[in-house]
Amino acid sequence: MTDRRRINGPPSGTQTPIFASTLKQTPTVRLSPPTRTREPTELRKIFLKTGLVPSSSGSAYLELQHSSQLTSLKITCTAHGPRPLPRSAPFSPQLVLSTTVKFAPFASRVRRGYVRDSAERDLAVHLETALRGVVLGDRWPKSGCDVVVTVLEGEEDAWWGDVAGARERGEGWGLMCVLAGCITVASAAIMDAGIDCVDLITGGVAAVVEEGGGKRGEVMVLDPCPAEHRNVLAACVVGYLASRDEITEVWMKGNASAAISAEELIEKAVGAAAATKAVLEEAIKEAAFVKFPELAKSRGGLNDIDMNG
Amino acid sequence: MATTSKSQTQPTLTFPRPIFAALQPHAFLHAHLSKPAPARPSGRSPQDFRPPVVNTGGLTHCHGSAVVRCGDSAVVVGVRGEVLMAGDVAGGVREVGLKGYDGRIDSKDGDGDGDEVKEIEDLRLLVPNIELATGSTPTNLPGNPPSALAQNLAARLLRLLLTTRLIRLTDLRILYPRPPDEEGGEHTMEVVAYWTLYIDVLVISLDGNAFDAAWLALLAALKYTALPRAYWEPDFKTVLCDDDRNADRKLRLRGFPVPASFAVFEGREGEGVWVLADPDAGEEGLCRELVTVVVDLDDGRTVVRRVEKRGGGIVGRGEMRELVSLAEGRWRGFREVVGG
Repeated sequence: MTDRRRINGPPSGTQTPIFASTLKQTPTVRLSPPTRTREPTELRKIFLKTGLVPSSSGSAYLELQHSSQLTSLKITCTAHGPRPLPRSAPFSPQLVLSTTVKFAPFASRVRRGYVRDSAERDLAVHLETALRGVVLGDRWPKSGCDVVVTVLEGEEDAWWGDVAGARERGEGWGLMCVLAGCITVASAAIMDAGIDCVDLITGGVAAVVEEGGGKRGEVMVLDPCPAEHRNVLAACVVGYLASRDEITEVWMKGNASAAISAEELIEKAVGAAAATKAVLEEAIKEAAFVKFPELAKSRGGLNDIDMNG
Repeated sequence: MATTSKSQTQPTLTFPRPIFAALQPHAFLHAHLSKPAPARPSGRSPQDFRPPVVNTGGLTHCHGSAVVRCGDSAVVVGVRGEVLMAGDVAGGVREVGLKGYDGRIDSKDGDGDGDEVKEIEDLRLLVPNIELATGSTPTNLPGNPPSALAQNLAARLLRLLLTTRLIRLTDLRILYPRPPDEEGGEHTMEVVAYWTLYIDVLVISLDGNAFDAAWLALLAALKYTALPRAYWEPDFKTVLCDDDRNADRKLRLRGFPVPASFAVFEGREGEGVWVLADPDAGEEGLCRELVTVVVDLDDGRTVVRRVEKRGGGIVGRGEMRELVSLAEGRWRGFREVVGG
């Protein structure tokens, strides 16, 4: 069934380009897989800015620093609300939060469609769970707030040069990194919209990865980029409120070995989230200084944050 | 605040500006434009375009990408090529049959005859789509099918792509030099596949004049689009792409058509008419007649590639001339920003 409201491609369908190195035994060009150059506890640099979409109540843009040839996460988020619910909606004593996560068609290696798929709906539910714990919903009865997240560039599950290897390592690692970014950027957008929250929520990821050539060396890393690792064994995302020391969302996946327990993994993810909080604070401060210039004079300037979990 | 001091000096504005603008948008704009030196609420003169800010090649998974920001309208475009196998085309492929044709030089059918456009259109090799429902305005929220505006914009983008013959069919064909058979035939070039270009336009923020912003971003993305070198591999019976990024082939665009949109604002009861260049969302909502002129400058000669006009009959021939000359200025400005 074709979508008659959009412009469709050839009816027989098209195939994504197949690169020679993925098929032949002796490729002419051997691409080397990217490797992690950061310390295991070091996060990628985060660029976070609010006020991207002037017509919305609040908006934010998040980008992670590029490393060599790799992609980086690029996410925009707009928050529309609080605004009155339509007349037809039933009474709600609390703010009705609705979240949408959509990948752009060009966000991943394989082209995505315009209609939301199950992975995107799943991410939206995770995001909603994370945000519901921070927003003070009872301050806005009979109101709604739409949080719309658009992923311009996501994270891949594996390095795309290694097609055979990607199949056996499972899926969904990239989504976990995207979720952590979504939580942080949505938090910034909600702050920009001026919706009261109990605390700043940030997302953090930690993963157990397999390093090295032949020997099995399991390492715990913060803010993993799945494409940089030979294999990801387990990963955990948390939505964390730093000053209250609360977790509103945990998503864990994979098989952590005996040496590394699940508690440890969650703890590391919390560490990553706590390190991200400094960036979020600085972005909100920056936005506040633009709105209230006299505040900037009294508080001094801004500084870049050194992130270590 | 600046607004209150302004309202004290101007006795006609007894509300702060934003409230006046929200309550009486038509009178608000009229008051601005009927001053001796007409200036719009945004501070621009009626002929001023919002200067575009362009950033290309920011996305990793695309063959070409661009971000364009005109004022508060921000658009991201990603161009991605996918392969349409000739065997999958219903009814078969039009015979190329070019002897000694190397696929690069447009010797015979390169100069865009009607057949070329028809072939691109029939095979649907260009697939532009626009997404407004990214929360770009408070009314464009996801969860609904594409709005009438989005459908209209996508159709206009496709139409303009085809009528300007921007993309060469020779750039999209993947050829295979079939070796001569035993009876001593000649080398023949065979079309084994086509590149299909998916052009996805994501509007991040919308403040009027979506078409211009979308097309400018699309044009900037296509200008820097490079497709991998693709070839037929007889062993695998499929089309493979070269890993070598240096072998990528850039699209050779035909011309550089740049649109300029205008909205016609009519004062109350015939108290003057103003043509506003590059209207923002507030102005667009107050105007009925909209004009889009697409021009291209070729060696200093202006070519009008397309004119779209709807909603009224105020802009006549004489006014159209002025609009074309304004569009020339816009062309120069954008060309400078994009470079290349």
